[in-house]
Amino acid sequence: MPTIRLVYVRDLLRELVLRDLKLRYKRSVIGILWSLVNPLVQILIFTFLFSRVLPLNIPNYTVFVFSGVLAWTWFQTSLSMASGAIVDNRELVRRPGFPVAVLPVVTVTTSMIHFTLALPVLAFFLIFGGGHIGLVTLFLPLIMLVQFLLTLGLAYLIAAAHVIFRDTQHLITLGLMLMFYLTPVFYRADNVPEQYRLIYALNPMAHLLTAYRAILVQGVWPATGTMALLFVMALILLGIGYAVFQHVSLSFVEEL
Amino acid sequence: MDPAIIVTQLGKRFRRRGGNRPSTLKEAILRGMRGMRDETFWGLRDVSFSIEPGRTVGIVGPNGAGKSTLLRLVGGVGRPDTGRVQTRGRIGALLDLGAGQHPELTGRESIFISGVISGMLRSEVEQRFDEIVDFAELDDFIDSPLRTYSTGMQMRLAFAVAVHIDPQILLVDEVLAVGDIAFQRKCLDRIAQFKTQGCTILLVSHDPGQMRGLCDEVIWLRHGEVVAHGPTDLVMDDYVSAMDTVTRQRTPEHVPIVVLANGQELRIRDNRFGSQEVEISQVRLLNQYNKPVTTLRSGVPLTVELSYRTPQTIVDPLVSVSITKPDGSLCLDINNVSTGVAFPPLTGEGVIQLTFERLDLASGDYFVDVGVYAQEWAYTYDYHWHVYPLVIEGVAQSKGVLVPPLSWHVERSSEPE
Repeated sequence: MPTIRLVYVRDLLRELVLRDLKLRYKRSVIGILWSLVNPLVQILIFTFLFSRVLPLNIPNYTVFVFSGVLAWTWFQTSLSMASGAIVDNRELVRRPGFPVAVLPVVTVTTSMIHFTLALPVLAFFLIFGGGHIGLVTLFLPLIMLVQFLLTLGLAYLIAAAHVIFRDTQHLITLGLMLMFYLTPVFYRADNVPEQYRLIYALNPMAHLLTAYRAILVQGVWPATGTMALLFVMALILLGIGYAVFQHVSLSFVEEL
Repeated sequence: MDPAIIVTQLGKRFRRRGGNRPSTLKEAILRGMRGMRDETFWGLRDVSFSIEPGRTVGIVGPNGAGKSTLLRLVGGVGRPDTGRVQTRGRIGALLDLGAGQHPELTGRESIFISGVISGMLRSEVEQRFDEIVDFAELDDFIDSPLRTYSTGMQMRLAFAVAVHIDPQILLVDEVLAVGDIAFQRKCLDRIAQFKTQGCTILLVSHDPGQMRGLCDEVIWLRHGEVVAHGPTDLVMDDYVSAMDTVTRQRTPEHVPIVVLANGQELRIRDNRFGSQEVEISQVRLLNQYNKPVTTLRSGVPLTVELSYRTPQTIVDPLVSVSITKPDGSLCLDINNVSTGVAFPPLTGEGVIQLTFERLDLASGDYFVDVGVYAQEWAYTYDYHWHVYPLVIEGVAQSKGVLVPPLSWHVERSSEPE
């Protein structure tokens, strides 16, 4: 019985993610390629700004900023969409037997697919823009897993919170904007003055970006201790997020 | 055998709409914890019953009696405030049929998404795909997006998916009032088939006829409490007469007597009933040339034209027309919902016409009775009884009520010697 349930949730996840992707790109000419346009334009801007206008002197800047922008975009779209995960799926939540907890997973997975689709382009830049592709690249899925768990934990909290307080969405937008500048997406954490370092030490996305870059830019294995700690923290956060979500989910029907 | 559904002292409290609970953070902070207290009422209160496997049970009651809430709680949606629900077996639900559908998705895509949302594995949907398309009668359109479908086609698709899960418990909420008659028939047949397979069915409907036709027992809810639970005929008789009482209570004492064009008098509480929130101001029987008639030949068209007047906006009105003999025996009784038609809201004044393409009644005297009813048959707005006579003249003399076009044919095996 539990295996059947698991197979069912997998099928459900697959159909819902496919539905999201199909709906977003139906009747558009270049379709899913649009998911690449946004990060590419951002990268173009950053590369121009920070290698020409205000040079930051970061080697392989394009690859550096590309990996940062991709990972950040995944994080950001997941969380800003998470607020709608429940509220926008009213009729699903009201269906008998529907596992509501699958909805935030759909959100994070959909964004992850966009991330994955951009990987070939990233590979192109790695080869021609001075990055690293080698054995160590095989560890990329591990870092993605940590990011997935971390993002999902937050997504559960946000999705549940937004059902009760409809201000959540705006707070999240604001918070994400703030966090974007406090995360070394287009600059290096090393350049931050000593007295502000604590903010970065507490920002899980900063550590994740460092890990991505270790693999992709420097071609070295990321700091094992930090990654292990991050993994455990992500699991704990996910546990808390899931528990809160499940607790609140019993009253979703009335709040919608 | 153990019951399939056991409901014990089930209670569900709701916040009153427009209550003062803060829904934004700002309000919550400004008001502090005070604001978190709500004004509530019981949507369901102390509801207990158990249903044996294989039984079909109807739930009746006026709007807001808690029927849908009960159905959802049985389906495990939402949390009861008191009591509990125990169910045994896979639950299928014919509620919120369009869940997960989107106008941009094709029929094929919708079947997969709705199927999985309804609780099927993808492989199960694949297996039954042809059957579903067949049932929905949409073979030619299956790869077109839903936005090109008519409402009827969309409902057919949704229903087709919903009835192809193999539930042990089936929850049905008022979905049978959609689609054309042939499809409604098909859906009812399918439900009957579930029944013979031993499926336990819990069904909400406002159509007393449907209730009597499908259900083994009926639960009657009022203000969230069970008024009666028992054999269908017993409960339905009580329910219908209680609804009549409501109509009588709502019928005003004094409404001026109306003298109709045909000389008949309309007297309130005598041959006219209803709250008069909608007033039937005129009824005309028209022949195929749009001329008012009181006498018709058997087998020709008839249009019943009903003019109405209302100071309000009447949502989901029900309009019924029946033809009876002077002794009260019924020859025909139909309404817009039973013929698969939903009317737009009625406002101000207007005219509703019902056309019979041919009326194959036996010759004799009849009355055409008309009525306009509130949403879900809650009570009557206006009902005119036995004031519009109709005489049918026929060539053939017959007993009974029906004379369809007919011809005789005799074939003999051989000539007599």
